[in-house]
Amino acid sequence: MRGLASALLGVENEVTLLDMEASIEHLSRSTPQGAETLLVVVEPYYRALETAGRIAPLGRELGIPRILAIANKIRDEEDARVIREYCAAHHIELAAEIPYDESVRDADRRGRAVIDHAPESRSVKAMRGLAAQLA
Amino acid sequence: MRIAIAGKGGSGKTTLAATLARVMARDGKRVLAIDGDPNPNLGVALGLSSDALRDAPRVPRDCVIDVYDDRGHQYMQLKVPFADLRARYGIAAPDGVELMLVDGVEHAGAG
Repeated sequence: MRGLASALLGVENEVTLLDMEASIEHLSRSTPQGAETLLVVVEPYYRALETAGRIAPLGRELGIPRILAIANKIRDEEDARVIREYCAAHHIELAAEIPYDESVRDADRRGRAVIDHAPESRSVKAMRGLAAQLA
Repeated sequence: MRIAIAGKGGSGKTTLAATLARVMARDGKRVLAIDGDPNPNLGVALGLSSDALRDAPRVPRDCVIDVYDDRGHQYMQLKVPFADLRARYGIAAPDGVELMLVDGVEHAGAG
């Protein structure tokens, strides 16, 4: 068995979620070959898009079968459009658009989980939708 | 199901990882959340207090060895059986999520 998280894989009927290092050069280093899905979180500004544009091909090279972009902190239609266009141009499937949500920052300031702090917030609802989609 | 979450720092990947973990656990799945970020905050995002995390055990660097595949990619492999690691380093988080903090990824290969 190869890769840290594939080594950390455990039993088949469970979910392993790996929050990876931010920096791109560590991707191959810390990425499990055994991962079935790579979620690439992207915000609607150039450098974040560019990072996602470099992560996705690396994930493909590592043989991860499903690579999905997750648009985050979307404030308006223009934000969504920028990410949709970038993903389309770079052949990255866009799986979810999570709205910008003050309650995330608010939860963070209080050192709380957003799902406890604001369970009915728009971002939590969007993430619930994504969880259902991934299952 | 193994899901890796990547993105630029500050993109919200930790919030996403934590929320997906909690939601999936509530849906009845057994969830293991691994914090592989050298600046760890997945625990707090999952709902653990910073007090609970202060003395939490981290999977040490020496549990991991470097291996290379035929294309020169570097991977990490565990020297210790997974079950042992889990028993020793697994941290209970809300909704039954199990958290594991993995140390030393940043300086891997340095020593």
